[in-house]
Amino acid sequence: MNEGYKQVKRMTPAMRIIHWVNAICMIGAIATGLYIGHPYYQTFMADGAVDKYVMAWNRYGHFIIAILFDVTSVLIVYLYFFSRFEKPYKKVIPNAKNWTEFKDVVVNLVTLNRKNEFNSTHSDSFNTVYFTIFHLLLLWMLLTGLQMYVWGLGSGLSSIGSWWPWILHLSTDWTLYVTGGSKMDVRLSHHYTMWFVICWIVFHIYYQVWRTIFWKEADIAIVIGGSKFVKEEKANRK
Amino acid sequence: MSDRVEAVKKLFTSKSSRVETNKGDTYYQDLFEKCEARLNEMRSHTPANKLDFTDLLEENGIDRREFMKWASATTAMLMLPPMFTPLVADAAVMMNRAPVIWLELQDCAGNSEALLRADGPKIDEIVLDIISLEYHETLQAASGFQAEKQLDEAMEHFKGKYLLFVEGAIPMGMNGQYGTIGAAGETFHDHLVRCAENAAAVIAVGSCATFGGIPAASPNPTGAVGVMDVVKNKPLINIPACPANPANMVGVILHYVLTGQVPELDSLLRPKFAFGYRIHDNCERRAHFDAGEYVEEWGDKGAQNNFCLYKMGCKGPMTFNNCSIVRYNEAVNWPIGVGRGCIGCSEPDFWDKYAYERPMADAKIKAPTGGVEKTVDEFGLGMLTAVGIGIGIHAAASAIAGKREKSGESHE
Ligand code: HEM
Ligand code: SF4
Ligand code: SF4
Repeated sequence: MNEGYKQVKRMTPAMRIIHWVNAICMIGAIATGLYIGHPYYQTFMADGAVDKYVMAWNRYGHFIIAILFDVTSVLIVYLYFFSRFEKPYKKVIPNAKNWTEFKDVVVNLVTLNRKNEFNSTHSDSFNTVYFTIFHLLLLWMLLTGLQMYVWGLGSGLSSIGSWWPWILHLSTDWTLYVTGGSKMDVRLSHHYTMWFVICWIVFHIYYQVWRTIFWKEADIAIVIGGSKFVKEEKANRK
Repeated sequence: MSDRVEAVKKLFTSKSSRVETNKGDTYYQDLFEKCEARLNEMRSHTPANKLDFTDLLEENGIDRREFMKWASATTAMLMLPPMFTPLVADAAVMMNRAPVIWLELQDCAGNSEALLRADGPKIDEIVLDIISLEYHETLQAASGFQAEKQLDEAMEHFKGKYLLFVEGAIPMGMNGQYGTIGAAGETFHDHLVRCAENAAAVIAVGSCATFGGIPAASPNPTGAVGVMDVVKNKPLINIPACPANPANMVGVILHYVLTGQVPELDSLLRPKFAFGYRIHDNCERRAHFDAGEYVEEWGDKGAQNNFCLYKMGCKGPMTFNNCSIVRYNEAVNWPIGVGRGCIGCSEPDFWDKYAYERPMADAKIKAPTGGVEKTVDEFGLGMLTAVGIGIGIHAAASAIAGKREKSGESHE
C-alpha cells in the first residue's frame, strides 16, 4: 500500500453480487426487450416451428431477468433502510449536511476536479442520489412490466394460483392511469424508461472511470474487491 | 385529474379482473329459479311489437336445431351452465318485450349497421330485429315533431323499464353546440341526460359511445367524450369495439331480460363475459408469434402462410375483446383471420394509440410537448447522443485540465 493512503471498505460482498447480477440482467433485459418490441432478427421459414420458438425464448429470458430484478429490488429496498454497513436512505434525506456534500461533489465534477472538498471515504450524497434514481427507474420498469405481464393472465388465473394476478392488479393497475389511461401508454412508458436507464448507465460508467482517473483513489476497484484507497489527510475530513 | 384520482381509488377498492366461470351450484340454482320466475312473469306481458321470433327464424330458413345450437353457444358465452340453455332460448323469443330506446350521437352509425346487416341475417341479428325498438333516431319513419312526440311517449310509457342504447360520442366543446337534435336544437349532451334519467340501464355501444372513439381522437376538435363521462348514477354497460359485435349486444340484452341484472363488469365497465379475454391469447396465429414467424410485408410468403401479424402492427397483445373467440357474422371470420392486424378497437384512445400498422416501437409518437413526431427509439437515441456529447466534452476538458495541472506542478 502506498504511503499516506488508507484502504476503506465500500461495498459488502452482497452489494457487489447484486451489482453484477443487475449489470448482466440489464444487458439481457435490453437485448430481449428490444426484440419483443420489434423482432429484429428473422427466423428461417424452412425450420419447423417447434425448433424455433424465438419470441417465446426472448420473452422467457425477459421474464426470468424480471424475476431476478424483482428479488434484488426487494433486497435493495431492505438494505436502504436496514443495512448494517451503510444505510443509503440517510444520504438522500435533504438535510443541510447532505446538501453541502451533494453540492461539493457536483462542483468537483464541473470544475474538472479542481475543487475537491469532501470526504470520499464513504458513498457521498451525490452518489447515493444518483443510485436512488436508478432504483426508481428500475422500480418503474418492474411496475409497468408486471402490469403488461398480468394482461396475459386475463382470466385471473395462473399456474401458481389466483392470488398472483390479484396482487399484480392491485399493485400495478394504477400505472395505467398515470401513464395516460390505455394499455399502450404503459407499454410506451416501459420502452421510454429503458432509454432513460441506458443513459443512466452510460453516465454511471463514465463517472466511475473518471473518478478513478482523476481522484486517484482506485474507485473502480470498489465494485470488484469492495474497497478503495483514500489519502489519510482527506479521510480525516468531516 | 379528479377523475383520475377517483378512478385510482376505485381500482384499489375493486375486485381483480378475474373472470369467475364457476360460481357454485347453489348460486346457479338460485339464479335459475329467479330467471324462470322472471320469464314467466314476462310471458304474461303483451309484446311491445307484433314481430314473432319463431316466424322470423322460419322465414330466414333457420331451423329449430340451429336455433338450439345458437342458444347453447350463447349460454356458454354468458358463462352460464348448460342447464340455462332452454331459458336463454325462451328469453330470445321474448326479446320483443324488452323496450329499447336508441340514441344516435356523434358517430358513423356503424353499430346500427352491424345490427341491421340484413343480407341473410343470422340469429344474433334476428334477435336484435325483434327487440322492441321504441325509438331509433336513424331507423324510424317518423321525423321532426312527430319523432319527438314518439320519444316522449315511449319514455313515459316505459318509465324506469326501457334500456337506453347510446351510439356515438358526446361533443362537449362550445357548450355542446357541435351536435344538436330536434327542432328545439337540444344538444346531444342534454338529450342524453334527459333520456338517461328514466332508463333502467344505459348501454353504450361502440367505441365512440364508450371512450369517445374516433371523434375524440387527437386533436379532438369537438371535445368529444364517452357516455360514462356524462351519465353518472345509472347502471351503465360499455360495449366497445368498432363496431360493437352484435353477439355482445345480444348477450347484454339477453342477460338483462333473463336475469334483470347487469352482467359482471370490468374496471372499464365492459361485461367480463365479452371483454375478459385478450385477443392475443385466443388467436389462431399465436403459435407463429411464439416461434418468431412474422409477416414482414403485405402479401409476402409469411402472409401466405398465415404468420403472426405482430410486425404489421397487430395490437392483439394489448387488446381485450372476444372477437378472437366469437368472431363476426356468426363466427364466419374476424379481422386477424382475414390477415389484418388487430387495431385495438375496444380499448380507450384506440385511434391515436393503437391503430397504426406497425409495432408500437416503430410508431411515430407526438412528443409530450406536441412537437415533432418521433419513434421511441429515435427519441431514446437522441437522448443518448446528447449524453454522449456531454460526456465527450467533459472528458476532453478533464484531460486538458489534468495535463495543465501536471505541467503546473512541474514548474513549481
Ligand atoms: C430494466 C430492465 C428492462 C428493460 C430495459 C426492458 C425493456 C423492454 C422493452 C424495450 C420492451 C418492448 C416494449 C415495446 O416496444 O413493445 C419490453 C417489453 C416487456 N417487458 Fe420489459 N424491460 C425491463 C424490465 C422488465 C421487467 C422488470 C418486467 C417485469 C415483468 C418486464 C416485463 C415486460 C413485459 C411483460 C413486456 C411485454 C412483452 C410482451 O407483451 O410480449 N420488463 N421490455
Ligand atoms: S396476429 Fe396479433 S393477436 Fe395474433 S398472435 Fe400475432 S400479435 Fe398476437
Ligand atoms: S381484432 Fe382487434 S381491431 Fe379487430 S375487431 Fe377485434 S378488437 Fe377490434
